[in-house]
Amino acid sequence: MSLRAVFESQPERRYIMFGGKGGLGKTTLSATCAFWLASQGKRVLLFSVDPQASLSDIFQKDIFGKGAVPIMQNLWAQEVDADRRIKEYQEEIRKKILDMYGFDRVPEEIDNYIAAASAEPAMEESAIFDAVVDIVVQGDYDYYIYDLVPLGHALYYLSMAKVYDEWINKITKLREDMRQYDQVAATMRREETMEEDKILGELIYIKERINASSRILTDKRQTAFFFVLVPEEMIILDTKKAAELFAKFDVPLSGYVVNRVLPPDLGAGNIPEYLRNRITMQQRYMKDIQSAFGARVLAYVPEMERDITGLPMIERLANRLFEEGPKA
Amino acid sequence: MADEKKPKKGGILSVFKDIVYGMSSHEMTRHAVRSRASMEHLFILITMGDLLGVPILPPYYSLRLLPYVTPQIGSWKRRMLRERDITDVLG
Repeated sequence: MSLRAVFESQPERRYIMFGGKGGLGKTTLSATCAFWLASQGKRVLLFSVDPQASLSDIFQKDIFGKGAVPIMQNLWAQEVDADRRIKEYQEEIRKKILDMYGFDRVPEEIDNYIAAASAEPAMEESAIFDAVVDIVVQGDYDYYIYDLVPLGHALYYLSMAKVYDEWINKITKLREDMRQYDQVAATMRREETMEEDKILGELIYIKERINASSRILTDKRQTAFFFVLVPEEMIILDTKKAAELFAKFDVPLSGYVVNRVLPPDLGAGNIPEYLRNRITMQQRYMKDIQSAFGARVLAYVPEMERDITGLPMIERLANRLFEEGPKA
Repeated sequence: MADEKKPKKGGILSVFKDIVYGMSSHEMTRHAVRSRASMEHLFILITMGDLLGVPILPPYYSLRLLPYVTPQIGSWKRRMLRERDITDVLG
């Protein structure tokens, strides 16, 4: 099956993710895929949650922290500025405390807590997680393409969805039990009105957001996850391991894309020994890839003569990827 | 005159109600309120654990709950961090 056939046979797909180790070309492939879908008349949002995002580089346009920026007809790109998001969020919390209790200033202990919580590394991860939910629940695009962070992060991100979900369920249950005790006390004292539990409301809100994103990540009908790899021994091994882990989290794995394939006719001419060895080595790993992933490889992407940046170069790659079948 | 009587009558009734309440359900109410307070502290522990250095809930979401528990933070911290002795078990 080709990459094009995968998209054409699954018109209900909305969420597309490319995963793989750092530096293998995930951003390039996400951008190429986004370009092709947009040129087919679909409204596409390509977004990155990576603090070192490279969408700005590939489109040669500064889009960091600027929301969804139009790139061409039907195509928008967005890079989330997690730091700024955290700062704005802290301010929002402080303001809420001041408003709720009519304080002039936030009590020192509470303020220290807000500052300390925001300095934790987990803060950035969970803020990014929340930003992604914001992006995908807006629901205004035909396709959402995630330019995922490197594999380890992606796995963490996926497992976080699962842990959050179970965790929030437990807290919500505790809160509901607390409310029952409140009700008992109120009834016995013959108090009639009981103010609504705002915390329970917040917990339900958090739970819905987390559920929305873990539902998307594991939805076989709407979500496609592609692995990007290159013909190198370590990368092949890592990809196999990662694929097993992803399967454990019920992520619908749709196929593999092999990047940086040297043109086979390169070996024909009079070339240096060093280059010849590299080509022989790569041919061996290509065989490994074919025996390990076989028909699940949807495209072999040739090593280009220059970097993939700017729309004309992305267009060239899109034609190669979507208009021709997978060939090694 | 009639106006003065009414509140008095209500007063007797309410005193009577209070006595019945005290005899029958005050203890139960106290128990419910106490259980509720313990649960409140447990709730703050699992959502605001970072305050004691025990991070449990992802920080982005625990901050979201912080404004609602702000008044309880002081008493909760005292309760969590105070030393305990035999009288805690007896009491």
